[in-house]
Amino acid sequence: MEEKRKWKVSDIWKLLRNGISAIITGNLLLRLNAGKYFVHIAYTFLLFWILIFESLVAENALSKVEKNNAKIREMEIIYADKTFEVASMSRRSEVQKRLEAMGSAVQEPDRQAISID
Amino acid sequence: MDDANNMRQLPQQTTKKKRDRIGLVLYIFYVLLLVISVLVIFKLVYFQLVWDPEPKIANALTPSIAKRTIEPVRGNIIDSEGRLLAMSYPVYDIHMDCTVRKAEFAKMKNKEKGKMKEDEWQGKARQLANGLSELVPSIDAERMYKQIKDGRASGRKYLSIAKGVDRNTMLKIKDLPLYNEGANRGGMIVESRNIRKYPYGRLARRTIGFVRDNNGLPEEEIKGNPGLEGRYDAILHGKDGREYLKLTDRGRVRNYDSSYVRAVDGKDLRTTLNIDYQDVADRALRERIDSLEDLMGACLVLMEVKTGAIRAMVNLSRDPSRNNSFEEITNFAIGRRCEPGSVFKTVTLLSVMSDGIYKSLDETLPTNHGIVKDTKMKQDVHILDWERENKTHEISILDGFKISSNYVFGTLAVQNYAKNPRQYVEKVYSYGLGDSFDFDLEGLLTPLIPDPKSKYWSNTTLGTMGFGYATEETPLHILTFYNAIANKGKMVKPYLVECIEKAGNVTDKRGPSVLNASICSRAIADTMTRALLSVTEDGTARRLKKAKCKVAGKTGTSFATFPNGKYVDENGRRQYQGTFVGYFPAEDPQYSVICAVYSKPTRTSYQGGGIPAAAIKELVDYVYTNDSRFRTKLPKK
Repeated sequence: MEEKRKWKVSDIWKLLRNGISAIITGNLLLRLNAGKYFVHIAYTFLLFWILIFESLVAENALSKVEKNNAKIREMEIIYADKTFEVASMSRRSEVQKRLEAMGSAVQEPDRQAISID
Repeated sequence: MDDANNMRQLPQQTTKKKRDRIGLVLYIFYVLLLVISVLVIFKLVYFQLVWDPEPKIANALTPSIAKRTIEPVRGNIIDSEGRLLAMSYPVYDIHMDCTVRKAEFAKMKNKEKGKMKEDEWQGKARQLANGLSELVPSIDAERMYKQIKDGRASGRKYLSIAKGVDRNTMLKIKDLPLYNEGANRGGMIVESRNIRKYPYGRLARRTIGFVRDNNGLPEEEIKGNPGLEGRYDAILHGKDGREYLKLTDRGRVRNYDSSYVRAVDGKDLRTTLNIDYQDVADRALRERIDSLEDLMGACLVLMEVKTGAIRAMVNLSRDPSRNNSFEEITNFAIGRRCEPGSVFKTVTLLSVMSDGIYKSLDETLPTNHGIVKDTKMKQDVHILDWERENKTHEISILDGFKISSNYVFGTLAVQNYAKNPRQYVEKVYSYGLGDSFDFDLEGLLTPLIPDPKSKYWSNTTLGTMGFGYATEETPLHILTFYNAIANKGKMVKPYLVECIEKAGNVTDKRGPSVLNASICSRAIADTMTRALLSVTEDGTARRLKKAKCKVAGKTGTSFATFPNGKYVDENGRRQYQGTFVGYFPAEDPQYSVICAVYSKPTRTSYQGGGIPAAAIKELVDYVYTNDSRFRTKLPKK
């Protein structure tokens, strides 16, 4: 035996009309009797807000990372520059030439150093 | 029934309730937000489903995500004491956006003012070009200004100004007119990249190798690049990284929603080279050969006796692209194989001593007027001089070694091994003079040793082998053999890479390894040292007698074969290879050393006791004076 339908098509329109009027009047949650879930809803909103806020903070931090990376790179460049300069100048024959140019009497040793045991 | 009616009327009564003022304000605010959110939702639906923007606008509104390859930093090559031999060095490429502020000036309502501003900009561009020409010698001021002017007219946003400038120059360029106004107003675009730099210039270039940057070497180039840069490219290069960048209000930042692969920097290579010794060896050799037009190349290798660590490796050859000056182009030490000459006599001497045929260096042979019996070998005329000067028809093995007599060593080989030449050849192999070994550089050649069973083996082969012909050896093979004698018979493998390091920590230890635990007994090694010492004290390498410590060694002079199959060409010229190989101090050997010079066809003689011995003397004196192991120790009271 076919079960008798308990609702009418006009009920859908009624539901929509009631829903829209509830939204406009600001009573939707109360009409839905969702007042007891208010804390949960507020918590969900809070989570969304934190998510957006965190995303902004992360973006800000990342931009700082990029700036700091650029600074580190700059320092590495200075370090490499100085290291190269020092290494180039440490060549034995270069040192000797510089000493000669400066009129220094310092020369390569002509006998071994003496070490104390 | 009444109760039920009351309940139905209750909401009506609530809605009809007079709203208070705060409630009204909140309600209006609520409705406002509601309207805005409805509009936003409609707009979103419209943008997603209906709106079809122009591509230019779509590009501007779509956040761009760019993929960036993170280049690893190439590992350093350092010497045994931690000094940098090859390093990554940042340089800058300067570009210019020539269109900067052009539209701004053109759109000015006051046209005259716009033109004035444009003229002012052009004036600064001229000053910039002048400044650039002063800082970068390759830039011509007029040409540069024209390029900027033309670029501005044609709308060029990326004009190359200077490439590969160092940091100091870049900072000075930044201070020039126009560029000192910043990127947005001056149009300066600076990009940095790493290139490979060698603090010691071209010193040891053939050993260290050469690359321009860390962009990876093609396989064929690695095979053709005999330096450490090529051989260890995979270790030095590291691994490329990858990241995705997104454009935000604060510039480009890494997109954490996309994958990120960190770049792994290359590892460092600690070599056995001592750059001071390399410098001295290079100078000692260069000074002696620079002015000699007849010489085409030379090499010098200094090796530590106990370990086989190579402390210096000089390879100089004429470079036609640099006014024929000597440069590190060809690795003669491992890549030139030729008849070694008299330095091979030590092999024959060691063989007869090891086989117990002779017990003492003072045993004698008949001089026989310099003719090796039972062979068709040429007469050794030097023996006739010996007979005349010493009024005798006998010569001791030691004297034969001292004067480097071909007759004596031809006779020793023929007399003792003619019945079984394989025995002699096997001796040569057991001394490591017949095989190649795994070396830290590409291109170590395998020596050529004749096979007694081959059709090329003749009546004279054994005798000529006895004094260093009919075989071909590289200088490194000869040095390894002499090093084994210095090391009391223990033959160690020469090596160049001490270890592989990451941030100062050793990740892969290389180091000494043994090729042959004993090629001869300690007693025979000592006898050999006595023979070799006599060469420098009273023989063909007397030049080394005045060295700061006793050097034991042997000279060798050989001739390359001409296409006519002879050792002399139609004009009577010879192509010399003069060699000296030895070790020092003779009493307690710490270093072994070889030096060879190669001549073009010439009539001038280049003997092993000449330039090679002189260059080695300078190096020996330096090492003996400066090396900490030779310090005089003052005992405590």
